[in-house]
Amino acid sequence: MRNVYVVGVGITSFSRLEFPISEIAAYPAMMALQDAGNPKIDHLYVSNMGGGRVNGQTALASAVVDTLSLTPIGAETIENGPASGSSAIKTGFMAVASGLCDTVMVAGAERMREVNNLEATDFVATLTHPLAEYIYGVTLPSLAGMFTRLYMEKYGVTSRHLAMVAVKNHANAMLNPFAHLHQPITIEGILDSPEALTNNPIVADPLRFFDMCPVSDGGACVILACEEVARKVKRPLVRLAGVGQATDTHCVHERENPTDLLAVRGAAAQAMKMAGIKPSDVSVAELHDAFTILEIAESEEVGFFKKGEGHLALERGETALGGKIPINPSGGLKGKGHPVGATGIGQAHEIVTQLRGEAKKRQVKNAKIGLTTNFGGFGNNVVSLVFKRED
Amino acid sequence: MAVELEKILRPVDAPLPPFPPKFMKVASGEDMVVRQVSREEIPDLLPHVEPLIHVERDYYDIVAVRVYAELLGYYRHRVQDEYVLIAQINGELAAIVNGRSLNKDVGVSYHTLALRRGLRVGAHAFAAKMEYHMDILGHKEVLIVAESPIGFRRWMIEYHLEKRFNVAHELGGVPSWALTKPLFDAARDTLVVGRRPVPEALLKKAQAAILPPSNPPKPPADLLGATRSMNDPTASALLLSRQRLAKLGEPEGKV
Amino acid sequence: MELQVYGYKCRKCGQLHYPFRMVCKKCKANEPHGFDPVPLPKKGKLLTYTDLSTLPADFNVAQLTLGIVELENGIRVTGQVRIPKPKTGMAVRINIETVRSSEFGKNLGMVFTAA
Repeated sequence: MRNVYVVGVGITSFSRLEFPISEIAAYPAMMALQDAGNPKIDHLYVSNMGGGRVNGQTALASAVVDTLSLTPIGAETIENGPASGSSAIKTGFMAVASGLCDTVMVAGAERMREVNNLEATDFVATLTHPLAEYIYGVTLPSLAGMFTRLYMEKYGVTSRHLAMVAVKNHANAMLNPFAHLHQPITIEGILDSPEALTNNPIVADPLRFFDMCPVSDGGACVILACEEVARKVKRPLVRLAGVGQATDTHCVHERENPTDLLAVRGAAAQAMKMAGIKPSDVSVAELHDAFTILEIAESEEVGFFKKGEGHLALERGETALGGKIPINPSGGLKGKGHPVGATGIGQAHEIVTQLRGEAKKRQVKNAKIGLTTNFGGFGNNVVSLVFKRED
Repeated sequence: MAVELEKILRPVDAPLPPFPPKFMKVASGEDMVVRQVSREEIPDLLPHVEPLIHVERDYYDIVAVRVYAELLGYYRHRVQDEYVLIAQINGELAAIVNGRSLNKDVGVSYHTLALRRGLRVGAHAFAAKMEYHMDILGHKEVLIVAESPIGFRRWMIEYHLEKRFNVAHELGGVPSWALTKPLFDAARDTLVVGRRPVPEALLKKAQAAILPPSNPPKPPADLLGATRSMNDPTASALLLSRQRLAKLGEPEGKV
Repeated sequence: MELQVYGYKCRKCGQLHYPFRMVCKKCKANEPHGFDPVPLPKKGKLLTYTDLSTLPADFNVAQLTLGIVELENGIRVTGQVRIPKPKTGMAVRINIETVRSSEFGKNLGMVFTAA
């Protein structure tokens, strides 16, 4: 298997983008091409979840490859729920590692704000079990709410811990020009003041408004290449060193221990094993905090902290910028935004930017190894990636 | 002669009781003051509304242009029985809400314009406006329409408004929705917040000057102006995008 | 006739599943028609719940309580909770009712009430 390097990255602002979805994918692709010095692309992989349903655009890759005037190269669309982005990176990795391609482009895009919030929530809810979950009105926030209740009862996590995650990630997002939410928040404003219940209403008890990620449009792109190509590109050398993926039951209620996220545990372990590292070697991580509770739970499952102790590490500030293991310096899904199909590539963009030392105000010092975890569904399909700075 | 004509054109305002100012903590931890502004303060608001007329996202353009007209109408005596409330954070303008009293039983809600996003400023300001109609002016119901999906979601769903589709609303003649006293009372606990009296220093600061919003909604940096213009035979998207970029300066990073 | 929700029992090893699956998750038996439908018990205990306010557009209520219940035989199910102040661990009864409807059809499903 050949080594695979990230030679170019690009991203749009995650916010509301009133452009055709093919252009939302193509813009960061243009940026990534410039970043990498316009290499010749062998294959294009486009990740997207809702183009067909939300935007009326199926077979997105065919549209994007032509928008970028890359025809006649091969192109396909990859859909794996909210983990589509990381799955596409995994596919690109396999193409380069196997020797099939030397340079591939992996672009992701989502345009969820074309429809209103209710429809967007319903669209994401279609990833749940159609007969045992969806018909009851189950949405992702409700699964997260039920999960949070159990987590609180079992491990003593409180609303205050959740609010601390939100405050941290909003603060990080302030330093990220591409982030969706440029809005500092305080514990007092969302939890303690007499107006807090109106500022921060309960959405899926015990989760509240500021525990949820925003609905975002956005696109991101990485270009992967073999060593020979990567050495010629005059950019800091970042290797995609580990790829892991694991799945869990479709219905959340079928999991033996409902507070476990076994797919996160499995995917992260595989990725770290492949990269030959331990959790303590990781210098920066982007975890899938679609709900604040998930950042705490995942920080335990990937092995940064013992199960049930993630919230204690958060209290000690270990996951903040400047802490022992900064989590979500980009602002995470909570602050940076969550355009589902592009999220995994957005995470990779942040890690590569950090490892290159180009993250400006939010730079993690001496970042050498970075980890991402990308959820498809409520923990039922998880892809984890490890990136290493080499040179 | 001119004075005589002005007499005809100018409506005679009924005296409306004032809105007692209140304050609340917003999600950022800052204190927000909601207070009524007099006609004399309208010129201080207009410069902050004008730029939003050119923000073609989230319906800011249509709402801002109408608010501008309504504020000017109030200032120049062309709207009867209008009132304007504003929300300020650290003296900065955070929201403008306005409406008018139709008669002693019915009020008409005009607009809610939030100049700061993500803090539910608009929700607080809208609630204050309803409080003014119900508790201070003693209206039995307020006629409401939404011009944006955000507004619709907030007002129609959160307050469970009743249909008054037989009544054409003053804004565009579209079918009205109504907030009745019982609906308002039901929503009061969760949606209507704020404390009185406002500490003197806080109120003084708010009254001293209406400062410009530090981070007002901006037009989208038209990332794809060039490609968009393909669908735009007059190329106005491209021209607009160039003008905007020239005005904004290059945004930070490769946005 | 009393309405039932069925679990699916593996003909080879007896493992009960809900919802339906094609291959047994315990013994991996993969014969076609390898499961017998078995009515699920109507009693259980509430494991967790949430009061949800972001409902898909076709629900015309502002809020709905959803929960996961562990039935007497250990099988877990997701459904709607119709209990004013639910508590985790409380005993519940499972009723089969309309849980979602549209202009042209309706879905029957489980509604949990206090036992």
